[in-house]
Amino acid sequence: MNRKLKSRQVVFVGGGLMAALAARKLVEDGVDVLVLERGRDHDAGAEHRLPSQRDELRWGVRNHLAQDWSIETYTLRYTHKETALPIRTLAAFLPGEGVGGAGNHWNGQCFRWTDYDMQLRTRLVDRYGASAVPPEMPIQDWGVTYEELEPYHERFEKLFGVAGKAGNLRGQIQPGGNPFEAARRSEYPQPPLEITEAGVILSEAAAKFGYKPFPMPASNSPHVYVNPDGMRLGACQYCGHCERFICESNAKGSPEVLLYPVLKRKKNFEIRPYSHVTAIEYDPKAKRVKGVRYIDLESGDVIEQPAELVVLAAFTFTNTKLLLGSRIGTPYDPVTRRGVVGRNFCHQTSSSMNVFYKDRWINPFFASGSTQTILDEFNGDNFDHTGLDFMGGAYIFNNTTNGRPISTRPLPPGTPQWGTKWKQASADWYSHAFTLTTIGSCYPHVENYLSLDPTYRDAYGQPLIRITFDWRDNEVKMSQYVTRKMAELANASGATIVGPAAPRKGPYDSRLYQTTHVVGGTPMGADPHTSVVSPHLQHWDAENLFVVGGSVYAHNAGYNPTALMGAIGLRLSDDLSRYARKPQRL
Amino acid sequence: MQPTAPNAGYTLLGPEEATFLEAVVDIMCPADSLTPSGTDCGLAIYIDRQLAGDFGKGGRMYSQGPWIKGKPEQGYQLPMKPAEFFKAGVAVARQAAQSRYGKSFDQLAPADADAFLSDIASGKVVDDRLSLADWFSQLLYPLFQQACFADPVYGGNRDKVFWKMIGYPGLPAFYAQDMVTYRGKPFPGALTPKSILDFS
Repeated sequence: MNRKLKSRQVVFVGGGLMAALAARKLVEDGVDVLVLERGRDHDAGAEHRLPSQRDELRWGVRNHLAQDWSIETYTLRYTHKETALPIRTLAAFLPGEGVGGAGNHWNGQCFRWTDYDMQLRTRLVDRYGASAVPPEMPIQDWGVTYEELEPYHERFEKLFGVAGKAGNLRGQIQPGGNPFEAARRSEYPQPPLEITEAGVILSEAAAKFGYKPFPMPASNSPHVYVNPDGMRLGACQYCGHCERFICESNAKGSPEVLLYPVLKRKKNFEIRPYSHVTAIEYDPKAKRVKGVRYIDLESGDVIEQPAELVVLAAFTFTNTKLLLGSRIGTPYDPVTRRGVVGRNFCHQTSSSMNVFYKDRWINPFFASGSTQTILDEFNGDNFDHTGLDFMGGAYIFNNTTNGRPISTRPLPPGTPQWGTKWKQASADWYSHAFTLTTIGSCYPHVENYLSLDPTYRDAYGQPLIRITFDWRDNEVKMSQYVTRKMAELANASGATIVGPAAPRKGPYDSRLYQTTHVVGGTPMGADPHTSVVSPHLQHWDAENLFVVGGSVYAHNAGYNPTALMGAIGLRLSDDLSRYARKPQRL
Repeated sequence: MQPTAPNAGYTLLGPEEATFLEAVVDIMCPADSLTPSGTDCGLAIYIDRQLAGDFGKGGRMYSQGPWIKGKPEQGYQLPMKPAEFFKAGVAVARQAAQSRYGKSFDQLAPADADAFLSDIASGKVVDDRLSLADWFSQLLYPLFQQACFADPVYGGNRDKVFWKMIGYPGLPAFYAQDMVTYRGKPFPGALTPKSILDFS
């Protein structure tokens, strides 16, 4: 049955972190806000309670908190000339489902990006000359500066109780922090998490090179913390069940813990779970959106929901899919390199290696999602690239987040796959090994983009998003460089055994988890020819449509995206409040 | 500690398939000073139950056609659900053992059975209808590792034997204090792991 509901002032698509942040000011102002979320409320589920929360198989291996691929997946190909195939069980990244979205099952790693990332093209051209950026790499400025975002970073960190050590306070470099970080106006709201034994080992190795290790900025609360809204985080139990899990101690900064309860107290706020949005109603002549259409999963009804203002706040692919499917904006074409929707799609370039220490007790199960020690010397443009044939870089760290034994059980090279020797190696090394990892930038390439698949459809009959992506030359060379730097550290760390250091290379592997930091598709920017939304996230072709989330990133840095997304979401909250008071192009 | 569960029956696999699987897990996990045999650790039961349930039915897999062969990195591309793929692979492997050795896999000497499994894993046992190497690496081997190290509530890792072997303490994992006290030192809790069953 089809039903048309009465019009609402503001409708958000996607009940994750972005809607919860961007709706704040509107809800305070008394504006009528409706959030449509395709999944359920996780509050009372097995995923949130002991003992079932500690189930590695269900949440960690089978990824039951991530998107259900039987309903919707993506197709993958490597160049625009190939036929894409559906990824039938996706492992490379993990979009969330349900209230809170991927903000439920993240690790909590909470980096600000550098002060040059928002003007990356300008920075690279200034430093290396006009030919520094090749034509096949559409690196572009974002139309916003770090300085504009800094107050919002500050606010987000206080809301989420972020724990860390400042490295740059108002321009003064601080010992123990990240000397490469952008200037901060104040210290982190909470002191860092406890260091792991793996972090002690990495710090000892780093000292030999003169590198400056620092603790991962963490949205995993080291102590009980009450944020400016009066919302409370519990103390982290270092249980090793963060990424892919919902924190049962409420110690991980998550929209369901910190943000939605505040919004739900207000009569002018409503969140409607089990509402799968299929289209945005668009009037191309008026250049305005009229509302959204969704399937109510509890009745099967197709619902028309008119709205004065629509905010797309879903995961990277869903934002792009809804714009393409609703024919809003010009789709990107890799041949002519014209059009915008789908462009600048980027994953993140990681690599790793295992290290083994006979006489050190690593105890990998003492961990949170952010108990890592970081080196930022070879990230982004923190080092001089003169004479190097690539751009970008990565941070290097001990990737100590858990000791869950199905997945986190490094074995020395040459160990047989089964039998007594396999068991003996597992017994010998489980508590004496860890993984070193690089998390690196991925800059845009003209062949890496999103479009609608012509063949494969989701469970509701809509085309799947087609990913055209591979690791291009720049990222392959970057990964070789930073992986070599990581191996030098490993070799100087006193390890009994050093595993092989494998830089990232193609073909892009959908079977291996890398990061969930997939960005782009609807980039923000000052130029409508190269961006989908303005620097205020307003759609160029519809004044009353805003888009927010990873999809608005114009490139991916070697930093986790959540803190930046938090700042962008809070800035949008102010912009939406302005727009609601006086609708106009911002 | 939980008492040892009685040997549960098979719900998906027939007797010959179960016999084959028990022989496989007993080669991959022989009884030794570290653990009892794979069968006695519940590994075959774990695999049978997983295949009989949501995983085996491909409950969370995208399963629409057309079905086109791609690069390995594009992932599994067969219309068969995991349980069907598993049974088809078992049938091919059993036949291959029979034709190579003149007897069934479970009757082979351990060294022959081990060599045969290695040949399957490395793609040296070739069948023109089904890739046994894919069957092993994408389906059987991940299930084997899960059977060993997943919570015993699923039927494998009986008596937490694999967790005790490596020193994984399991639940409830409240380590705010232990994290500091035992940093860089052996953790006594690792000797007596607790599972979901201990809290149910």
